[in-house]
Amino acid sequence: MLHNVKDNYITSVKEYVSQFEEKSFRKLASNDFKSWPSPREETWRLSRLGVLSRKKITPITPNFQKKNASLSKFNGSKIIRFVDGAFREDLSSKLPPGSSLNILGEEDSLRCFHKFKDSNLKDHPSTNVSFSCTPSIVKLTIEKDVKLRDFFEIIYEGGDNNLSVHPALYIELKDNSSIKVIERFNHLSSLIMPLQLVELKTNASINSLKIFNDDQQSYNLSANCAFLADKSNYNSFSLIKGGLFTRSETHAYLKGENCNLNLNGVYLSSKNQHHDLTTAIYHDVPNCTSKQIVRGVLGGKSTGVFQGKVRVAPDAQKTDGQQMSRAILLSENAIANAKPELEIYADDVICAHGATVGEIDDEQLFYLKSRGISEKKAKQILITAFLKDIINESVEGSIQNFVFEEAELTLSEIISKEI
Amino acid sequence: MSLLEIKNAKLKIDDKDILKGLSLTVNKGEVHAIMGPNGSGKSTLSYMLAGRDGYELESGEVFLEGKSLSEMEADERARSGLFLAFQYPVELPGVGGMSFLREAVNSRRKFLGEEELDHLAFVKEARKVASKMFVKDEMLKRAVNVGFSGGEKKRFEILQMAMLKPKISILDETDSGLDVDALKIVSDGVNAQRNDDNAIVVITHYQRLLDYIVPDFVHILSDGSIIKSGGPELALEVEKNGYAGLINAA
Ligand SMILES: Nc1ncnc2c1ncn2[C@@H]1O[C@H](COP(=O)(O)OP(=O)(O)OP(=O)(O)O)[C@@H](O)[C@H]1O
Ligand SMILES: [Mg+2]
Repeated sequence: MLHNVKDNYITSVKEYVSQFEEKSFRKLASNDFKSWPSPREETWRLSRLGVLSRKKITPITPNFQKKNASLSKFNGSKIIRFVDGAFREDLSSKLPPGSSLNILGEEDSLRCFHKFKDSNLKDHPSTNVSFSCTPSIVKLTIEKDVKLRDFFEIIYEGGDNNLSVHPALYIELKDNSSIKVIERFNHLSSLIMPLQLVELKTNASINSLKIFNDDQQSYNLSANCAFLADKSNYNSFSLIKGGLFTRSETHAYLKGENCNLNLNGVYLSSKNQHHDLTTAIYHDVPNCTSKQIVRGVLGGKSTGVFQGKVRVAPDAQKTDGQQMSRAILLSENAIANAKPELEIYADDVICAHGATVGEIDDEQLFYLKSRGISEKKAKQILITAFLKDIINESVEGSIQNFVFEEAELTLSEIISKEI
Repeated sequence: MSLLEIKNAKLKIDDKDILKGLSLTVNKGEVHAIMGPNGSGKSTLSYMLAGRDGYELESGEVFLEGKSLSEMEADERARSGLFLAFQYPVELPGVGGMSFLREAVNSRRKFLGEEELDHLAFVKEARKVASKMFVKDEMLKRAVNVGFSGGEKKRFEILQMAMLKPKISILDETDSGLDVDALKIVSDGVNAQRNDDNAIVVITHYQRLLDYIVPDFVHILSDGSIIKSGGPELALEVEKNGYAGLINAA
């Protein structure tokens, strides 16, 4: 059932894998694809892959005997499970009518690959490496007019030391369909290079939540590409808390008029973690809105990066693009970088952006203390609120508590060390 | 022993003298009103008392029931029974009103050696006080001060005061921005809390408030010190003639 992608880029995966054993990851990637980012490259300047590049990493051979490690967190959710990057039908739910999961054949896989290659993710390391190494590209299709209320809970797990994992998921929502997706990344000490392609047809709508919670030895270089047709709606929220190095990069192409995109996110970083939320939004047509709110809380020696590019093409009049990022540093040794990048070529647009990095607001802190609340507790309340606020704004009511608790778990660890 | 004693308080902000030797004594059971022109230092005085960072005294001293405040942080002062109703209450996005109140009240109760209120008991108490202040339950569910109108913010300050039962309350222009009905509600709320054991300092620009909350003493604060003190008639004089005459005479 497993299928391997072949392309001009490689002759066969087998050969490819054997090369891994001989060469370091970087060498292989750079020789074969010219795609391993150098630190001089603008979008990787703040998130250097130095240590990773020198590691010897081999693509994992999925172990189909492995049982699931992570339990479902939701009643009634439809589970789609990837172990070691491979889709596991035996550990997944039966899907509801109107939806289907397929493993793409060679031609469709190539088509999918070329969609990535035509996007600005073409040079992303995961694009090239994962299309070569993924066990298969899995496609979730939602039929026309089908609106599903139950969540799809997509769990990515498995992995092992010095191995890389390559799940690839293609989600297509046909006209007037809608779904809600929760993705959870729970790998063990590996390099994870997930690919995701989302295609929203006319008036389709997706609510997407991604929780990055791989273990503290893991690297996750997630590459996501989305295409929005007219009147479609993409509402996404990412919570990045795990991994030694986690970068979620999303490129969204607004191709049809009157579509709406939210790419919000929170990162919670401590110790020597590096978290990066990189987005690019391409307003190619008029009358679309996009919004991004990104917040970070950092302790220890961690670093956080938010890079947000918004490009408004000359034709994309009446675009409304908002971007706000804010990071709170709880430790002197933590660093947060925010790099908004607005390229606006149309004149009749509303585009606002703002980025702040700093400490807790001292007026708010004083107000709480003036009510008898201790400084420690007051800080805790304010940081919690800082997150609650955006979570409530970004995710739908029924899972707000869940997301908040996931965030709070990590947050309380950070706070207990810093305050 | 007086409840609050400010002795020759001097304070600078950014090298500028703001309080220039201010003294004031407040005893239990008293209501004091402080009036004074814009920028004379009224809010600075209240921040200094509440213990805001950057408002430390350069010289002079403040005592709360005989205990010096100089070593006490803002939260400790509040737990000890000092309350400031802010001229500009601060918005706390994401902080629910009910949990904020509960945290505050329980901090104070713990300090007083009283048992902390559990969620249910607390909600009941909060609703009771809120209804007296004509604060809708719905407002307690919202984030603190976020999207509240000017008047609602002020009402919420007094609601906090009622819940915390402070010994000394400083109300910094709590009447500004209130409509006639709200002024009455807020004043009633304040009056209901007056007793022989506590005291209130109201900072205001308007004599009208003092018709509702009748003060025992009125002080005129000008350019960082109190230039004149008297009874309620002093407020009427200000209302009629402004501050110029008083300031020139001082
Ligand atoms: N943080 C600050 N930095 C610089 N100057 C300040 C600061 N805070 C207060 N001041 C100055 O101190 C003086 C007193 O201000 P304060 O707010 O105490 O006046 P006030 O009597 O409360 O006025 P109002 O009636 O307008 O509320 C003013 O000249 C003000 O500009
Ligand atoms: Mg003032």
